[in-house]
Amino acid sequence: MDTRLLMMLQVAVAGPQRFGAGPHGTRITAPITDGHFEGPRLRGRVLPGGGDWTILRGDGVLELDLRVTLGTDDGALIHMTSFGLRHGPPEVIAAIARGESVDPSTYYFRTTPRFETGDPRYAFLNRLLAVSSGDRRAAGPIYTIDEIL
Amino acid sequence: MRSRPLMTLRLSTAPTQNIGAGPRGTRLTFPITGGAFEGDRLRGKVLPGGADWVVKRPDGVLELDLRITLETDDGALIHMTFEGIRDDRASGAPYFRTLPRFETAEAKYSFLNRLLAVGTGEISAAGPVHVIEEIL
Repeated sequence: MDTRLLMMLQVAVAGPQRFGAGPHGTRITAPITDGHFEGPRLRGRVLPGGGDWTILRGDGVLELDLRVTLGTDDGALIHMTSFGLRHGPPEVIAAIARGESVDPSTYYFRTTPRFETGDPRYAFLNRLLAVSSGDRRAAGPIYTIDEIL
Repeated sequence: MRSRPLMTLRLSTAPTQNIGAGPRGTRLTFPITGGAFEGDRLRGKVLPGGADWVVKRPDGVLELDLRITLETDDGALIHMTFEGIRDDRASGAPYFRTLPRFETAEAKYSFLNRLLAVGTGEISAAGPVHVIEEIL
């Protein structure tokens, strides 16, 4: 599989909304208040109002379901969603929960972003799939997003 | 991004059901009648009854939405889905990529519940072929 860097995306999350145990697992929604992204072909800010609607499954895997709006530095709006999985050894996941910085190679945190835009300058985003590798920091995750070539 | 081979999936399809122009584009359903998959860690056959529910968008890109059941040679059932896109007008080679996901209750194959994957597709004379890699 060949890939190339699309962007680095860093988001800031506000206090998690803990719904408790539901029919699919333990639901926790993390509102996204801010952020920024930068890559060779696009850069800009994450608009407030997005979030990551996560479910902690019975097998210990956290399913991620992120939706954000990206605003490029030249005024385009890009709708971004991504499905992902996060899991790892219990002590590593516990350290992340305590807000510690953890070596991202010690756990699995991968997502598959999709993009939609009506701006012709960024229409290439409508026609690609991507994969990302995440690094969960206390202030919020940092995603290295690669285009699948 | 690092990856490693998971399986090669070969599908056989019945005639396309052309639903026609709907609100999101032209809807085409490709029923799947069977197939086979093979990798280092799993192999078996595709059960009949799945399909790829495709929408051709106004920009010419096909949005793929597949659901099938895999049965391994040792009797496990694996629920497989993918979303994907096929862009035959991409510069250079056609762009045909998918994001497969798996669910199974069989402990031997539960690693499939915990991974994301990427498929590279092509249409062979016998039907679609997807080379699927695990994202490490």
